[in-house]
Amino acid sequence: MRDFVQFLVNGREHQVRGRSVFKTLANYLREDAGATGTKVVCAEGDCGACTVLVRRRGEFAPVNSCILSVAQLDGTSIVTIEGIANGPSLHPVQQSMIDNHGSQCGYCTPGFVVAMADLAEGGPLDAQKVRAGLTGNLCRCTGYDSIIDAALKSDCSSTPRLCSRYGRVEDDGQSVLIEDGGRVYFAPVSIAEAIRFKSERARVTILNGGTDVGVWVNKRGFSAPATLSLTKIRALDDLSVEESAGQTQIVVGANVRLSAFQSFIEHRIPELHSILAIFGSPQIRNVGTLVGNIANASPIADTLPYLFVAGARIELAGTKGSRLVPIDRFYLGYKKLDLAQDEIVTRAFVPVVAASDVLKLYKVSRRTDLDISAFTAAIRMRQIDGRIAGATIAYGGVAPVVMRMPKVESFLKGKPVSIETFEAAGAIARQEVSPISDVRGSREYRLQLCENILSKFFFDAFTEAVPIDVPMDRRSSGRSSGGVTA
Amino acid sequence: MSAAGKNLPHDSAREHVTGEAIYVDDMPPARGELIVDFFWSPVAHGRIRALELERARSVPGVAALFTCHDLAHNRFGPSAEKDELLLAEDIVTFIGQPIVVIAAESREAIAAAKQAISMDIEPLPALFTIDEAKKHGSFIGAPRRISRGNLEAGFRQGEHVLEGTLSLGGVDQFYLESQAALVYPGESDALTIHSATQNPSEVQHVVADLLGLALNKVTVVTKRMGGAFGGKECQATHPAAMAALVAVKTKRPARIAYTKDDDMCVTGGRHPFQNDYKVAFTSDGTITALKVDLYSDGGAFADLSHAVLARAMAHAENAYFIPNIEINGRVCRTNHPPNTAMRGFGGPQGVVTMENVIQEIATVLKKDPLEIRMRNCYGIDERNTTPYGQVVANNMLPRLMREVAERADYARRVEAVADFNARSKTHLRGIACTPVKFGISFNTKFLNQANALVNVYLDGSVQVSTGATEMGQGVNTKIQQIVADELGIAADLVIVMATSTDKNNNTSATAASSGADLNGSAAADACRRIRARLAEVAAHELASRTEDLQASPSTLVFEEGFALDRRRPEHRISWHDLVNLAYLQRVSLGERGFYATQGIDWNAEKGKGAPFLYFTNGCAVSEVVIDRFTGTMRVLRADLLMDIGKSLNPGIDRGQIAGAYVMGMGWLTNEEKRFAESGELLTHSPTTYKIPNIQDLPQVFNVDWIENDTNTANIRSSKAVGEPPLLLAISIFCAAKHALSFVSGERIAKLDAPATGEEILRRLTEYRSAAHATSAVVA
Repeated sequence: MRDFVQFLVNGREHQVRGRSVFKTLANYLREDAGATGTKVVCAEGDCGACTVLVRRRGEFAPVNSCILSVAQLDGTSIVTIEGIANGPSLHPVQQSMIDNHGSQCGYCTPGFVVAMADLAEGGPLDAQKVRAGLTGNLCRCTGYDSIIDAALKSDCSSTPRLCSRYGRVEDDGQSVLIEDGGRVYFAPVSIAEAIRFKSERARVTILNGGTDVGVWVNKRGFSAPATLSLTKIRALDDLSVEESAGQTQIVVGANVRLSAFQSFIEHRIPELHSILAIFGSPQIRNVGTLVGNIANASPIADTLPYLFVAGARIELAGTKGSRLVPIDRFYLGYKKLDLAQDEIVTRAFVPVVAASDVLKLYKVSRRTDLDISAFTAAIRMRQIDGRIAGATIAYGGVAPVVMRMPKVESFLKGKPVSIETFEAAGAIARQEVSPISDVRGSREYRLQLCENILSKFFFDAFTEAVPIDVPMDRRSSGRSSGGVTA
Repeated sequence: MSAAGKNLPHDSAREHVTGEAIYVDDMPPARGELIVDFFWSPVAHGRIRALELERARSVPGVAALFTCHDLAHNRFGPSAEKDELLLAEDIVTFIGQPIVVIAAESREAIAAAKQAISMDIEPLPALFTIDEAKKHGSFIGAPRRISRGNLEAGFRQGEHVLEGTLSLGGVDQFYLESQAALVYPGESDALTIHSATQNPSEVQHVVADLLGLALNKVTVVTKRMGGAFGGKECQATHPAAMAALVAVKTKRPARIAYTKDDDMCVTGGRHPFQNDYKVAFTSDGTITALKVDLYSDGGAFADLSHAVLARAMAHAENAYFIPNIEINGRVCRTNHPPNTAMRGFGGPQGVVTMENVIQEIATVLKKDPLEIRMRNCYGIDERNTTPYGQVVANNMLPRLMREVAERADYARRVEAVADFNARSKTHLRGIACTPVKFGISFNTKFLNQANALVNVYLDGSVQVSTGATEMGQGVNTKIQQIVADELGIAADLVIVMATSTDKNNNTSATAASSGADLNGSAAADACRRIRARLAEVAAHELASRTEDLQASPSTLVFEEGFALDRRRPEHRISWHDLVNLAYLQRVSLGERGFYATQGIDWNAEKGKGAPFLYFTNGCAVSEVVIDRFTGTMRVLRADLLMDIGKSLNPGIDRGQIAGAYVMGMGWLTNEEKRFAESGELLTHSPTTYKIPNIQDLPQVFNVDWIENDTNTANIRSSKAVGEPPLLLAISIFCAAKHALSFVSGERIAKLDAPATGEEILRRLTEYRSAAHATSAVVA
């Protein structure tokens, strides 16, 4: 058991004790380590200005340092903007950002450079990969055009990679317990220790990715008396496929990051994969976990509608052993769970919807990428000879919890597959929910989405779409930008 | 080879990409430094009945609390009204209005002090919308008018008349670096203020005035800003003044850095407008009369609202010659934070109103909107006078419209859009081609001046200081290029220094896209004076070295690091040697330059004059696709074509155009300020306030400009580029209206800004139920 956390920053060892352990990494870097290249803008993981690279057991990955606590970084190697250049020689992405006017005011630039360095070292890039990889970084000056150029024109093939320049930290296998000013942080290495810690205390905040808790700390003055991190429990790293009773399901341990889950299901559950592609940002998915998304119990959690229609089950472990709960019985009310005081969520079992079913997932938000949903939906349907044999529908964002739509489901059963059927179902859906107006959308907007999404599903699932081709340029190249002439 | 026109990187690019660039809040804490923050009004309108601070003062770590009573003066503001208060007195007029300044050793102590302040406040009725303000007669300043011709006759000439109202929401500048200032108290009551401001002189003036100091006691330094976009033109003064108050009273360094949430809550943004219009036109689409009534939401104080309105009015006809026209304008006073400058400064709100009108005329006449635009566009030699009387000289607008339509294959794509909409059950497309004509110069004449200081050192290196502030737009790089060319030396010998009021006094804000125009011209003036002296030295030196050569300063030229006589170019003296020679001959190697824009004039009362030195023009084609079921919109392709004169730096100018277009996209699409009933802003962080993301950049994005060397009135025949391209995004809004026109039946498709998915879905639903109702009647 240790009473400090240790990690590397740009290859230099840091040991942190006491109060500073509870700071955010960004504030630690800026205030304690004097490294002010890392910027804090939104302090809630929505702009990427604070992006640093963190490597635990796998490869380096970009994360938002503004919502990570120092405590969470035990056993990691961190690279900040100050560590991207190799002494006096700039990293290729840095030179390319200079050459292609990738910076204007410069405030978002460190975050972009860090994310881009990781991206560019990962192999050849095309515009789509660049956009996907930099979705978590906001820029207000450039319009992103020159940043995309800079990424595409970076060549990292002859430069030492960050993962070879900065090593990994060998895990000493020790639990970490930090106490300061009435707060306690515990990162055990076994499930048993975790359960014991939780069962002994009335209020324990479980922290894994902490992408929501970090926001509470920064924005609501949240200070947990007791925090329990599962990150060091290797038994919760499980990510595998199981076949049972003719059904394929994916076993996802509590430590599995959304990004790992996303890659794992790319070909197994492509519909969910495409939702994960617009879930948060790479920085969020690199720390957030599927189990965290489940346990946080948000009515607009982007993975939940799928888990509802697929019939996922949640494994809970407590002092008396483990139990499995079907996901649609796990939520008792707004942020209220069927979870005893001594229990923690250890794994999720995620069935793969059979290919014989039609499955569509929807996420509607003000901005398509890096936005919290106003409305989500999962529609799963089986049709036999032009009639609907069965439908399973879950909506998010219309009630305190994600909800199934039993009236719509029973209406659809046996009906012909036609636009009239789905328009009628839409009218029923409108009656079945009572959403609120909030900052993400009005009640009327959500009601209309509840109605329309069924018609949209009909066209998406059963008709041939007129392709939305981008009107391409007839000229060879429309780009008029060139390199810098010094 | 000339440095101007070269693609030099931003002068801080290396510092940006390494994280070495220092912004105000990156400066290391000084000994004894205090953190400054403020306690603000929780109500939009109210009377403070009691304010109790003793408990807060005794919070451990709290150094001091200050109220309006601690200031020498409390009233200020950029307009004649001087209606603004730094700290509220008995009445508060918006949520976020500062009441108490708190200085403490730590953020925890600040938070505890805020909790410990008790205030009894009586809520008063508040106004939040333009409609409410109009109803209650709540205005700031007098109504304004620009008019020409005979409106009634014009309306009689038109075969068609249409009218309507366009609502435009406000947006946040969303600079990434929030407002910040760091104040060091010095000897003899002097202050040095590091401020993230576009206007160091204004910070100096406000701080000195509010604290009762002479101006020469206050030095304001601005190295750079992490974005500004107008938001730091006036409203950077408040944090600086609060920190200065603390520094003066406690004699300790004082730092203030707003959080993003606080910044968005308490500072103003782009003005919401609600514009009524009535237009008459003939069947071929010629506009015969237009009446526009512009109403802006100024918020609680005047700030720059009058100037913003003036620019909106001067842009309300955009690129079109309208013989009979009346443009009325009024600023509404509401209980929002005072709205202020934002890139475009009212111009966008004027122009979008006109383009919205054109789009609707086209619907009525069932003609392509571009045909209407071409028909009414300002002429080259005739029909080229604006409603306020300025001639649109060197008019490139018709050419820009033709060329961009050709490059973007507009005509063919209009057909493809119609074909797609007829076939797709799930999506709608729309396309539009809209021009922009943007006047360059401050409407307020006296602001069009600048000074510069150029120092040449004995190794030949040069420092330049001007009033221009670097906020990312690359003004330093452009000035560096101008100075290098004037002195005939390499650009890397020239450094542009941090802006500081001790080197450049009484400067104007870096705003109105004019930073490089004004300050570059002032720097060039300084260089020319140095060059004239050095030409004397060089001419005599070359004559003394060369047989049969008479000293002739007038034939001396400075190029590529040498001074040489044009008549005998083989004899030359290097810049380095010349500088040393001049020093030994006791010739001054420093100079002050000055520039005042000539030939501009504006009479605000009459709405007449020639307020602009020239116009920067452009035209864009944008195509959008809309999901018929969710209202979600995406821009598929954009083609932008500008007239920016002779570009000083193609890379920087391209970045300005691309960035401005995307910022304009945010204004008209997804950036929406939502308020609670109390007036409290709900969208105060990027979680809820959605600026464009990298995925929102159109997949095909063509940016270009035409060759145009006719703008000799401006430095190196360049044109200002910061704001005008923002208005190119109006093509997105018009494309959305075009898409909706495919489902609106016989009605004119209506749309307000921002055209969020929610707004678009509302319109789609309205048109669908109308269509259902119609078909039911027919059936």
